[in-house]
Amino acid sequence: MDEKRKDILKEAYRVGAAVFILLMVLTIGEFFIGSIAFTWSWPLWGISILKAVMIIRDYMHLPRLFSGEEEAR
Amino acid sequence: MASHPDVNQTPEALSDYRYKTGTNRIGLWLFLVSDTFVFAGLLVSRYYLFGGERPELNQLLGLVITTMLLMSSFFMNRAETAIAIGDTKTFFRGTLITIILGALFLIGVVGVEWQIVPFTPGENAMASVFFTMTGFHAFHVLTGLVFLLIVYRNARKGLYSAERHWPVEAAAVYWHFVDVVWVFYYPALYLIGVPLS
Repeated sequence: MDEKRKDILKEAYRVGAAVFILLMVLTIGEFFIGSIAFTWSWPLWGISILKAVMIIRDYMHLPRLFSGEEEAR
Repeated sequence: MASHPDVNQTPEALSDYRYKTGTNRIGLWLFLVSDTFVFAGLLVSRYYLFGGERPELNQLLGLVITTMLLMSSFFMNRAETAIAIGDTKTFFRGTLITIILGALFLIGVVGVEWQIVPFTPGENAMASVFFTMTGFHAFHVLTGLVFLLIVYRNARKGLYSAERHWPVEAAAVYWHFVDVVWVFYYPALYLIGVPLS
């Protein structure tokens, strides 16, 4: 594997790991909010939306949809 | 595909493959959007029927299975990234871990949670909605696992490369979608509302 590919791989892994850590922190935070204040639905929904945005953007790669590859030929 | 690698690696063939991948991607996302409406409908039913209450569920189990699903997404992302640069070793390892974690999630929901909940599916509307939401989601996890196993098997045959791996991307996006659904279902079922005993 050449150096350029190694760098791309390293960067992609770094983003993936950072997103995962954030998701876990938010999930644990969510768990504690739910345990002590289960009527606080809005903060919990806010956390869910934040988590979903991160997964859709960084794991599902939504921006690829707009990359226009179907127009490339 | 694997038997004629040279023909498939020409600039024209790769351009054609990129074109097809672009249109396939739009098709997959359209399907996911339509599927979202079903999951959203079930979520709305939960609020219509439970309101500010929720079923009494095992909180720790909820956290553990949610963690498993998030971890599986992490490893699937690694696997997809790896195949995109031709690192098949990391791809196989990541996909296999994803499959194992997905199977454990399924066991956690259907094999454990469903067995220990203090109600049955036909007991009342709340119980029905709980089993429908978790069951419909679990079915998606199961189909995702089947999809991943097919991709894993095809990869073993050498069908994918750094340039041509659309099925891997499709399986990964579908898997992450299942994760996104659970991101909303987890608080709706386990965290929000006064627990009913």
